[in-house]
Amino acid sequence: MKRFLAILVSALLLTTMLLGAAVAEAPVTIRFLNGFTGGDGAFMKKITDGFNASQSKYVVEELQEKDHYVKFETGEYDLVVIHGDLLPTYQINGAIQPVDSLYEAAGLKPEDFHPTGAAMVTLEDQQYAFPLDIHPLTMFYNKKLVPEAPKTYEDILALAGMLGDNVYPMGIPGSGLSEWYMMFLAAQNNVELTDEGALKFDTPEFAEVLLKLNQMLFVDKVSPVGLGLDGEFTTFMTDKPDASAVQTAVALTGPWFYTAALEKYGEDLGVAPLPVIGKGPGSYGGAHTIAVSAKVTDPAKLEAIAEYMKYMFTTENLLNWADSGQAPLYLPVIEYLAAHQEEYPLSYTNSLQFENTRIAPPVYNVREQSQYLGSTIYNLVVTKEGLTLDELMPELEKATSLAREIADE
Amino acid sequence: MRVKPWKAFLFFLPFLIVFLLFWALPFITGVVGSMYNYRLGTNRNDFVGLQNYETILFSESRHHDNFFLGLGNTLIFVGISVIPLVIICLLLALLLDRVKDPWKKVFRTLFFMSYAVSVTAVSAIFIWMLNGPGSYINVTLSRLGIISAESPIGWLSEQPFAWLSILGATIWWTVGFNMMLFVNALNEIDTQLYEASSIDGASYPKQFRYIIMPSIIHTFWFVLLNTTIASFNLYGQSYLITRGGPGQSTSSLSLQIYRTIMENKNLSVGMAMAILMGFVVMLFCMAQYLLTQRKKDYMEVRK
Repeated sequence: MKRFLAILVSALLLTTMLLGAAVAEAPVTIRFLNGFTGGDGAFMKKITDGFNASQSKYVVEELQEKDHYVKFETGEYDLVVIHGDLLPTYQINGAIQPVDSLYEAAGLKPEDFHPTGAAMVTLEDQQYAFPLDIHPLTMFYNKKLVPEAPKTYEDILALAGMLGDNVYPMGIPGSGLSEWYMMFLAAQNNVELTDEGALKFDTPEFAEVLLKLNQMLFVDKVSPVGLGLDGEFTTFMTDKPDASAVQTAVALTGPWFYTAALEKYGEDLGVAPLPVIGKGPGSYGGAHTIAVSAKVTDPAKLEAIAEYMKYMFTTENLLNWADSGQAPLYLPVIEYLAAHQEEYPLSYTNSLQFENTRIAPPVYNVREQSQYLGSTIYNLVVTKEGLTLDELMPELEKATSLAREIADE
Repeated sequence: MRVKPWKAFLFFLPFLIVFLLFWALPFITGVVGSMYNYRLGTNRNDFVGLQNYETILFSESRHHDNFFLGLGNTLIFVGISVIPLVIICLLLALLLDRVKDPWKKVFRTLFFMSYAVSVTAVSAIFIWMLNGPGSYINVTLSRLGIISAESPIGWLSEQPFAWLSILGATIWWTVGFNMMLFVNALNEIDTQLYEASSIDGASYPKQFRYIIMPSIIHTFWFVLLNTTIASFNLYGQSYLITRGGPGQSTSSLSLQIYRTIMENKNLSVGMAMAILMGFVVMLFCMAQYLLTQRKKDYMEVRK
């Protein structure tokens, strides 16, 4: 009996020890949420899979969801991709936490990133995210029609007389990138759009920018009128025009269209920074950052996040992100892109624009604040021939008043 | 045999569970939620009573503007869509009723097929046909010399074309459903009535007036009511085809509610808007019902 008891106790002890060891060695899991549901999702997954395979202490569980912001706000996630323009909103809402200590733990410094990216994630003198990339408005051109990339508005105007019937220098969309078109011209004219935490549109300088856009369409006729959704790109992709269709030689558009354009034009596709249409160079774009949920307080999880960031922000691993066509903000990768321009034409070109790319102003709920501008006012600008300042200003005042109402909520 | 009450309750239980889970609970959550100031992503969640309703209905806020803009646009769509959606479906059903088998079955299937397509696919088709100067319709019109390539019709970017495009897409998409209801109602009519009236020399218009319409009148009112509610709920077509544009001129009330909740994260205000929309639809349907009841009584007296 004693012998049986001894065996039983030993077996129990052994089981407890094994279980304890298993618990002690259970990897720390981080739930990483992002909205990369397009072609770029596979490239981020490659980084995550690489990290999971490289060690056994931590596991990153990556979830790619379409409405990932709603999921983030209603669920339990540790790490989240937030667009640069929304970072101030999430910071004000207290949904994300400062990550200065994680920079340190990951062996990273704000100076390791392009200054535009570093400034974007710095709120109230603290780092609130790791800047991943900027995807600015960029220029594609059809080398068969335009051997050299236009650099100025004069170059574009000159194209107007050279391209023949039904071929226009560029396209101004009816909708889609509406806000980007207004904002990139504002950036090129150095127009300030904020006033005490709210967007401010009712200034003569911004009105002038919008009237210039109207003039490009109806006076200079650099673009066909009546282009619909994503018209800047669809007309660029039009086959050889005849009497029934128009084509454009240049597209100022989003980098996400690159793959489709490359498939169509192959070596005849040119990529270049935006031409200077205003007073100086400038572009407008979106950006991705990686932020940490305010709910994460467990030191083990924070350590795991730091390790993941340390792994991601290396030239070798972050190049996967450049492979997707994105332009990373991590300086060693930017240097690598400069040395390998032929392999990464789009990412390299976009990295050249970082210096002058503007992200949406850092105000609360910026997307809601600019909704009226992007829909009603843009539609007025691109459809009303001979638009005047007197017609435009009341609308800009209304947009400003709506923005103020949202900012003051 | 007398069934014990608890056994009868067991039969009723599945319905009760589904009703409570998928109707009563969401409805009560919506009503209660609309009395808070909850905004997703913030810690704000205080009871505010009827303040959201007051803001939407009477204040000079953007919520008031958005609600009435959406309501106005929705009423425009109801106004332009209900009559064509009912009349076209009725005409198609009448045409099919005169076609012999097997062609009747073939056409019935063909017309109904579009109803099985998702709104996303319908929208993609109509965007391809109508968006910009390179769209199928504009290129065809240009080739026929009706318009020039440099002055395309802004089917999705100008009014009234944007409404016409949404209307066209809605008719193409939903025509099969109402048509099937009418076809079934027409099948129920006793063929002897047609034969007898023909012997008496009744023409087709007279048959339609005195035999067909009185026979399908209940289906007709049902289709009218159902179509009105469906038009009030306009969402997918304006969200996917015109994105609420040009400007915000095709942004329906459902779309405004979606934007308030999903894009602007203002859950409580969005819920209040949804409850108000429910009331508007209910009032509209009640008025329509009362009107049709009077009309029915009148027709029955005439018979």
